[in-house]
Amino acid sequence: MFMTKISRRTFIGGSAAMGALLTSPELVKALTSQPYPRVKVANIRNLRVGEPVSFNYPDENSPAVLIKLGERAHGGVGPDGDIVAYSSLCTHMGCPVSYSKKRFVCACHYSMFDPAKNGQSYQGHASEWLPQIILRFEPRTGDIYAEGVEGLIWGRVRNVLKATKK
Amino acid sequence: MALFERMDRIPIPPKDAQKFTTVCQYCNVGCGYNVYRWPVGKEGGLKPEENALGIDFSKQGVALQTQSITETMHNVVKGEDGKLYNILIVPAMDSPINRGNYSIRGGTNAQAAYSPTKPTRNRLRYPLIRVGDEFMPVSWDEAIDLIARVVKGVKDKWGPDSVAMKIHDHGGSGAGFEDNWAVGKFFFIAVGTRMLSIHNRPAYNSEVWGQRERGTHELNYTYEDARLADTIVLWGANAFETASVFYTEHMIPNLQGATTEEKKKEYLKGEPAEPARMIVVDPRRTASVTVAEAVAPDRVLHLRLNLGTDYVLANAIARVVWEKGWWDKELVEKRTDLKTFEDYKKKSLMLDVPYDEFMSRVERLTGVKRADIEKAAEWIAKPKAGGFRRRALTIYEKGIIWGYKNYDTIAAIAQLAALTGNYGKPGTGCGRLGGHQEGYVRPHGTSRAKLVGSIYAGGPPPNIDEYVKNDPRAKVYFVAGTDPYLSTPNSQAYKKRVHERTLTLTKYLSEQAKLAGEPAGSEERAKRILEGLEKTDGLFMVVINMYEIETARDAHVILPAAGWGETPTTSINCNSRLLRIYDQFMAPPGDAKPDWWIWGRIATRMKELYEAEGNREEAKYCAGFDWKDAAEVFKDGGKDFPDNRVSEADEAMLPAECYRGVTYEYLRKVGQKGIQVPVRIDPKTGELVGTKRRYVHRFGTPDGKFKWYGTDPWEPDPMKFYPPQITKYFQDGNDRKFPFWFTNGRTQIFWQTGYNDRYLPEKVYTIPLPYIEVNPEDARRLGIKSGDIVEVYNLEGNAIALVYVNDAPPPGTIYGIMYHWKGSLNHLTTDYTDPKTTIPWYKASRVAVRKLKGNLEDVLKNTSLLPINDFTT
Repeated sequence: MFMTKISRRTFIGGSAAMGALLTSPELVKALTSQPYPRVKVANIRNLRVGEPVSFNYPDENSPAVLIKLGERAHGGVGPDGDIVAYSSLCTHMGCPVSYSKKRFVCACHYSMFDPAKNGQSYQGHASEWLPQIILRFEPRTGDIYAEGVEGLIWGRVRNVLKATKK
Repeated sequence: MALFERMDRIPIPPKDAQKFTTVCQYCNVGCGYNVYRWPVGKEGGLKPEENALGIDFSKQGVALQTQSITETMHNVVKGEDGKLYNILIVPAMDSPINRGNYSIRGGTNAQAAYSPTKPTRNRLRYPLIRVGDEFMPVSWDEAIDLIARVVKGVKDKWGPDSVAMKIHDHGGSGAGFEDNWAVGKFFFIAVGTRMLSIHNRPAYNSEVWGQRERGTHELNYTYEDARLADTIVLWGANAFETASVFYTEHMIPNLQGATTEEKKKEYLKGEPAEPARMIVVDPRRTASVTVAEAVAPDRVLHLRLNLGTDYVLANAIARVVWEKGWWDKELVEKRTDLKTFEDYKKKSLMLDVPYDEFMSRVERLTGVKRADIEKAAEWIAKPKAGGFRRRALTIYEKGIIWGYKNYDTIAAIAQLAALTGNYGKPGTGCGRLGGHQEGYVRPHGTSRAKLVGSIYAGGPPPNIDEYVKNDPRAKVYFVAGTDPYLSTPNSQAYKKRVHERTLTLTKYLSEQAKLAGEPAGSEERAKRILEGLEKTDGLFMVVINMYEIETARDAHVILPAAGWGETPTTSINCNSRLLRIYDQFMAPPGDAKPDWWIWGRIATRMKELYEAEGNREEAKYCAGFDWKDAAEVFKDGGKDFPDNRVSEADEAMLPAECYRGVTYEYLRKVGQKGIQVPVRIDPKTGELVGTKRRYVHRFGTPDGKFKWYGTDPWEPDPMKFYPPQITKYFQDGNDRKFPFWFTNGRTQIFWQTGYNDRYLPEKVYTIPLPYIEVNPEDARRLGIKSGDIVEVYNLEGNAIALVYVNDAPPPGTIYGIMYHWKGSLNHLTTDYTDPKTTIPWYKASRVAVRKLKGNLEDVLKNTSLLPINDFTT
C-alpha cells in the first residue's frame, strides 16, 4: 500500500480524537489523508494522442480515464508532460464523462471539463472540478502508475471506501 | 499539485445533526437546499443508520439517484451561539423545483458562507465611517446617529427628494420580503422621496410594463409548463447559463420526450403529445441553442436577429399567425378587449401593408429569413393533428428587457402569446425567465411619494443615475445590495461623476479651519456634512453591503449587512412563484446586521430626533420600525396586501406576490413544498391556497380583459430605426472607427458582480478577467486569438478584456460579459433609456477592438479557453 498525502482546504472535524489534535497541523494532515493504492494503469508505448484509456481507481467501483493530450498539461507526466488522468464520474451528479475535442463532456446536464487545466469545469453545472489522479511515470519501463486522487470522487464522502489497514 | 487545495474526504453529518430548510441564494430558479449542521469534532458513520442523510456511504453512489455532495458543499461556520459547526448544504431531493439537481452557482452555497479562515473572510464586520482618505470602524449607535441626522437635516432643509437611493427590490441573496418591506417603508414613508432606483437600472420601474399594462404579470406560468409545452420559446433568454437547473431539469426532458406521460394527464382527450420543439431568439449561438441542438437537432429553431429588432420580429411572427388564420379566435373574442385589438392589428400587425412587402421589410431590418419567421409562427401556433391548439410557453429575459424600446418589445411578445391563446392553460404562458428571485412588498397605498408607471400610466419615472450625476439637489445617496460602479449602464461616466461629487464633500469636511482635521463624533460631523452639502455640490453616500464593494470606495459610511443563512428570510422563485423560508443556520460576521434591522434603526433614530424637537407629524412617519425579528417584518409587510379572501378567478386581481395570511410557522411546516403566490384565503374554508398558474379565468384588468397595444411605427433603414445614441456611430467616420456591434450578457460560472465568487478559487481560475467573445472570422481580421488581452472602446468608455474566440457571436458582433470584479464592460453601454419606461438598453452599442501587448502567463497556463458553446462529441 502506497500512501499519498493530500493537502486539505481546512481542518475539518473528524473524530473527537481529531478535534483534540487540531493544534498540530502535521498530525491532522496525516490522519485525514487517504491511504491510496499504487496501481499500474498504462504503459506509454500503448498510448496514442487523444485516445483515452479507461481504468478503475482507487477501486473497481470508481471509473477513471487516462489520456495523452499531445500538449503539456497541468499535472501531466511522461516525457512531454501531457499524460493526465481523471475520475470519469461527473462531479455534478455522477454521470460518466466522455472525452473528445480536448475536453470531457457529460451527457446528462452538459458540464464540460478541461483536462489540460486541472479538470476545470469551464462550462455547465458542475461546481467542483474533476478530481485529478496523481500519476507517476517510470522512465525505465514506461509504466504509468496511479498514486492518489486530488478532489472528492462523486458519490463518496471519502475517496477510499475500503477499511484502512492499521 | 492541484491549482488550489482540494479535499478527498468530507465529514459525515451524524444522526442528530440539525436540519434547516433553505433555498439557493442565487438565481431565479430557486432550487431547494437542505442544510445539515453539527458541532465540529463530531462525525456520523458510513452506515445509513449512522448519519443524518440516511445514505450508505460505504458504497459508491448511483448517478442521478444518490444525493450529490461535493467539496464545495461543506464548510465550517460559527453558529448564533458562538460555537463552531460543520455545515453541509446539499441540493434538496425533496424540492419539486430541482429534485436533487443543482448548478455551478448553488453548488457553492456552503463554500461561500462566511468563515474567518476561508476565502470569504473578506466580509464587512463593523460599520465604517470615512475620515479623509480612510475608513474607521464605529459602533452602530454612532453610524446610525450620523446617518439619521444627515437624512433628517437634508430632508428638512431641501425636501424629501434630496435623498436618492439605488437599492435591491428582489429576493434571494439575503434580501427577501423582509428587507424589501423595510426599504420601502423607510423611503416611501419615513423619507417620502421620489428619487428611487432599483439595483440594476437607473429608475424605479417595472422592467416589463409593456406586459403588465396588458393585464398579465410577467410571472404567470408554473415550472411544470416547461414540461408540458409543445413549443418552448426562449426569447433573449440564455436559460442554460442563467436558469441552469430549470433548463436541464424541466425543458430538456420535454425536448427528449421524457415528459409525454405527464402531458397525457394534462392534455385534452385525443390531443397529440409529442416531444417539445424549441425556438431560441438570440443574436448569439448561445449554449441554450447548442445544448438543445445536441439533444434534438431537428426540433430547434434559432432566430439570429439583428440587435434591438425584437419587437418587429415578434410582430412579424404574429402577422404570419394572422395571415394563416392560426390565431385563437375564441380567446381573443371572449377574453380580450376588442376595441384596442383594432389598434394592434393596424400598428403592430400593420395589416394595411401587403404581406409580401411587410415580410421583405422585416427581413431587411431583422436579418431573419422569411422562411424562418414563418416556421416560428408554425411552431408556435399551427394547430396539431386533430385541430388541437399548440401549447407554447414563451420565456423572455434581459435580451429584450434590456433591449431597444423596452415597452414595445415586451408588449409585442406578450401580445403574440395572447393572439395564439397561450395563457392560463397547461403548457402555455408568457413571462420572464427571471434574473434573481423575487420578494417585492412595498407600502404603495400609504406611500408619501407618488410612484408612477410607464408613459401611459403617469410616468415615466425619473432617471436617478442622471439625478445624482448632475443635479445639485441630490444631497444624500443610499446604495444598498448593489454595486453600480460595475453594474449601471454607461458606468464610466456615472462613477466619474459620483466620485467627483462625493470627493467634493470629503474635501470640505477635512478643510476645517484650513487644517486636515474633521470634527469628531456624529453630532458635530453631521453638522459639518450638512454645511458642506449647502456650500458645495457634494454628495453624501451611504453604502450597505456584505462586502466592501467597488462603489464603497467613495462612500462616507459603509454598513455591514448580514447575508444568506445569517438571518431568516423569505422569497419566491420566478418559474413558479414558489414562496419558501430560507432559514438562518449561522451567525453574521462580526457586528453585521440584516438590512431590515438597519433601516429600522435609522428610522427609529429619526423618530427620536423629530420627537426631541416636538415635530410629532414627522415623528409619526418614522414610527413602526421597531421590529423584534424577521418574522415580525414579514407579517408587517403581509398586512399591506389587499384583502385576499377572494375566489379562484379573482387571483388575477391580487398583487403578484401577495402572501397575506402566510406566517413563518406555516412556511417552516410546508418546507420545500412552499406555497405559490399570489396566495388566497379561500372564502369558504378559510385555508391558505396558492396559485399554480395565473389568468386561467380572467386577466388582471378591471373588466378581466387583456388590453392590446399598437407598437411604434418603424423603418427598415437602420439610420431611421435606431436612436441617436446608436446612429451617431454610423456617422462622421465613426462607422469605420467603431466597426463592431457590441452586446453583453451573463455567464453560468459566477453570480451578479461575483461578490462571493471572486473569493472562490474555482471561479477565480475559470473566469480570471472580464472577457469578450469574438467570432473566428473577426478574430482572423483583428489578428487575435483566445487568451489575448484587448482593449474594447468607443465614445462612451474603455474596457480591458480577455479574448475567447468562438462562434457564439455572429460575425461583426463582439459579445462581452456585462461585468466582472476586475472591470465593467458597462463602460461601453450608452445612456439610452426607453422614453416610455426609463429602462436602459444595455444590450447594444458600437465598439472598436485593439490588441494589447503581451499576455498574462497565469491566465494562459491555468484558464480554460475552450469554446463554451460546443457540446458535440
